[in-house]
Formats: sequence, C-alpha cells, structure tokens
Amino acid sequence: MAPSTVTSRTPRGLTVVAVLGAVFLLLPLLGIVRRVAWSSLWQQLTSPQVTEALRLSLLASILATLCALILGFPLAWLLARAKVRGRSLLRALVTLPMVMPPVVGGIALLGVYGRTNGLLGSFLYDTFGVQVTFSLTAVVIAETFVALPFLVLAIEGGLRSIDLRYEESAAVMGAGPWQRLTLVTLKLLRPSLIAGVAVAWARALGEFGATITFAGNIEGRTQTTPLAVYMLLESDPEAAYALSLVLVLVCVGVLFALRDQWLGRRS
Amino acid sequence: MTNLDTKQPRVWRHGVVGVVLVFAALAMSASLSHASSTGLQGTITVSAASSLTDAFKALARDFRQANPKVRVTFNFGSSSALVSQVQAGAPADVFAAADTASVDKLARTGHVNRTRRVFAKNSLMIAVKPANPMGIRSLKDMTRARVVALCAKAVPCGLYAATALQRAAVVLPESSVTRSVDARATIGAVVNGDADAAIVYSTDVKAAGGSVASIVISRDQNVTASYAIASIRRSTNAKVAQAFIDYVMSPAGRSTLVRFGFARP
Repeated sequence: MAPSTVTSRTPRGLTVVAVLGAVFLLLPLLGIVRRVAWSSLWQQLTSPQVTEALRLSLLASILATLCALILGFPLAWLLARAKVRGRSLLRALVTLPMVMPPVVGGIALLGVYGRTNGLLGSFLYDTFGVQVTFSLTAVVIAETFVALPFLVLAIEGGLRSIDLRYEESAAVMGAGPWQRLTLVTLKLLRPSLIAGVAVAWARALGEFGATITFAGNIEGRTQTTPLAVYMLLESDPEAAYALSLVLVLVCVGVLFALRDQWLGRRS
Repeated sequence: MTNLDTKQPRVWRHGVVGVVLVFAALAMSASLSHASSTGLQGTITVSAASSLTDAFKALARDFRQANPKVRVTFNFGSSSALVSQVQAGAPADVFAAADTASVDKLARTGHVNRTRRVFAKNSLMIAVKPANPMGIRSLKDMTRARVVALCAKAVPCGLYAATALQRAAVVLPESSVTRSVDARATIGAVVNGDADAAIVYSTDVKAAGGSVASIVISRDQNVTASYAIASIRRSTNAKVAQAFIDYVMSPAGRSTLVRFGFARP
C-alpha cells in the first residue's frame, strides 16, 4: 500500500474512475495480444510485405527524426530564449501539426509539394523534373511534419528549466556562444533532448494519415508499417495483428527507455 | 497572450457549452422536421461500395421524398472492408457491393438474407491527368506511368484491375503502384495527388468530370462488374431495408443508376 497520508485524502469516487480509466487504456492492448496467432507469428513477421514495411518505417522515421531535430532545435531555442515579438504566435504555429488531423496535414503537404498544383512542387517538377510525392522523400516530409512539434515542445521545456547562471558563468570564464551551447547547454539539455527525440520518433513511426494522402501506399517504397497494418487487416488479419504487436512493443520500449525522464520525474 | 494562459480553461468551457448547444439545437430541428407524414419510418444504415457514393445518395434523396419519415444513413467503403465490418457486428440494414462475391460471402456466414439481387453493372476505365500528358492510350501504356493508382488487392476494383491487366498481358512493377483503400480513393490519387493514371470504374471517371481524362479499355480486356444488394439479417428495421432495396430495383431507381453511368443488370 502507498503511504496512507495520500490515499486517505483521495476521494474514493476518484479512485474508482481512475481505475476505470486505467482499464480503458489497458484493454485495447489486451485486444491486440489476444488476437495474435502466436504459432505463426514469426512466419507473418518475416513475409516480404511486412519486412519491407518495417525496413521502410525504420529508415523513414529515423530520417524524419533527424530532420525534425535539425529544424526543431533552433525553433525551440527561439521559443525558449529569444525575446521576439509574436513568440506565442510562433508557438501556436509549431503546435498546429500536433492538433491538426493528419489527413489534413497530408492534403496541406500536397498543396505545397504536389507536382501539378503544388506551391513548390510544380516548380521542382517543371524545372528539375523532380517529383516529391509518392516517394520516400514524401514519407519523410510527412513524418517530419507531424513529429516536429513534439520535439520542439520537449526541447523548449528543457531549455526553460536550465538555470541560466551556468551559461553566464561559462561566459565569464571566456566561452563563446557556440562553446556555451555545446559544452554547457546541450549537456544540461540531454534528458529533454532524449525524451523529445524518442517521442518524435515514435510519432513519426506511427504516422498514417498524412503519409497515405501525400506519399501514397506503394509497397517497398512508401508503404510504412501503419499503412501495411491497415492494408493487411483486410487481406490477412493475422498478419495485421502481428505487425500491430510489433508497433506496440516498440512504443512500450520507448516508454521503458524514458522511464527516468517521465515516470520517475517527481523524485 | 501565451498559450498556457491560466484563464484559458474558462474560455474553453464556454466554447464547449456553445458547441454542445449548437449540436442540441441541430438535433432537435432535425427530429422535428421528420415528424410528419405516414407510412414507413425509422432510420436505416446502408453499407455500400464507395463507387456507389453519388448514385446512392441521389437514390436515397428520392426514396426519402416518397417516405419522409425514413432516414437513410450511409457507410461507404470498399466492399471487402464492409464485409469485415458487418461480420464484426457493425450496425447495417442493407449491403450493396461492387461484386456478387462479397454478398455471397456474407450469405455463407449468415449475415445477409439469401435473396441477393444484381442491380447494376459497371466496367473499368483508365483515368489520367487532364489532357493526358503521358500519352496513355491503353493498359499497356500504363507501364510508362511513374505512379499508377490501383485499388487494394483484396478490394473488388483491385481484383477487376488485376484481371484486366492480366488479360492485356501487362505487368506493372509493384514499385510504381500505389494502392488505395477503395475506388473513390484510387481515382482521388489522380485527381488530387500526383498519380499519373488509375484503373477505376467508368462511373468514377464520370463523377470526376473534367478533373481527369478517360481512356477506354478494349472490350476483350475489360471486366464487367456486377453490383449485388441484400438485406442484413440482423437488421432492426427490415421493412424499410426491404423497401429501399425494392426502390433500387424499381424502374425509377434503375434510371437514377443509369444517370450516374451504371449499366442495367
């Protein structure tokens, strides 16, 4: 039992609903585990369509996380440190992909990178003959778009919690801005950086709506794992559940790796 | 001015109350407008192949004109997805598929009544970008396209497309084929996206209007799709379900289907 001082103060009704809430979250996981055909699991996970999708997902989500990191760090810095006008507007803009329906994100991306009517896409196609849509590039763009906010907000939170005096004393000792950034700030930022990267990666890995709209569903080229799950649900449900299990395990793994950042943060 | 302003929750609450009120008002006005006339009443859900979207919406409008107390709600999707949904217990009263096999499948598992009827026919067409920039004239030319949109392999239009390609002895490299969930999404990849060509139903091409150009598939390669309809056995409103099916089969219903490009069965 937990210390009685806390439990005695929690109204019983709240506890009951909290338990219901926990069960509500747990049941779908059981729903997947229950439907997995364990005897043929390995066979399903090694079929060409599945391995291709997993390989593609891994590649695209890592690339997307890198892109999000490169674009996201400076944004987070601006949001946390710079005294610029319209900062809250910038934060709203950064948060938008997080709350926007992914399909809408996909349509928006089509409007920018589409070959025929896209803002940049038509220029790229007419001048260089480059088509962004229906390619790995499109998958990475879609995943970066949805993952970026998670990274920015995590890093911004980390930057805000760093005591500026460390950097000030580094400056007093003669460290330049880049030295301060690499030797002091990044070191202190590491926990939030890791957390941000992990969540952004998980979000990229799970991306569905924007991908199918913007990058299509080409086996071996743009059919990532979530898309494969969706397609397999009709043609081979057992394989769909097997692949879902993999995705759930990956997410559990991410949470496990971050247990110190999130679960044990209070201590 | 920050996002995490402490006053935000109150604003939110007002917003939520407002939205709820609007929905309640809409729901009330909707229920009031249906409280009139005689005959059949109640709501039915029609699970129909996505290629039937426009035709069935028009059919339902006409059907409701004759039966004002009836409401028809739709669940459009690929026939194979709808089969899975019905088998999983999704509420539905009528099932209309882009083939006969899907209906037979549900009949075998006891989910639909055995009297299935073929109510329309359809054929395949190639849809390309307006003005046909790739100069695609036949199924064979589709190998030139960078990206071809096809329906998913298990979906009727995907199966029909595979048959047509096989008849034309054309093998499209899988690396150029994007698979969409249903017929509508497939032509959408050409209309809204950057797919160069799609194999879809001629009715879809008709519905897309000027946003695509159409290429006829030769008769010896083309496939005829037979659309079948049946009532769901566990329907809570079997009477209205049957009336809707009868209306689809009636001369008025058939002429509506023809207007949307379907052929008579």
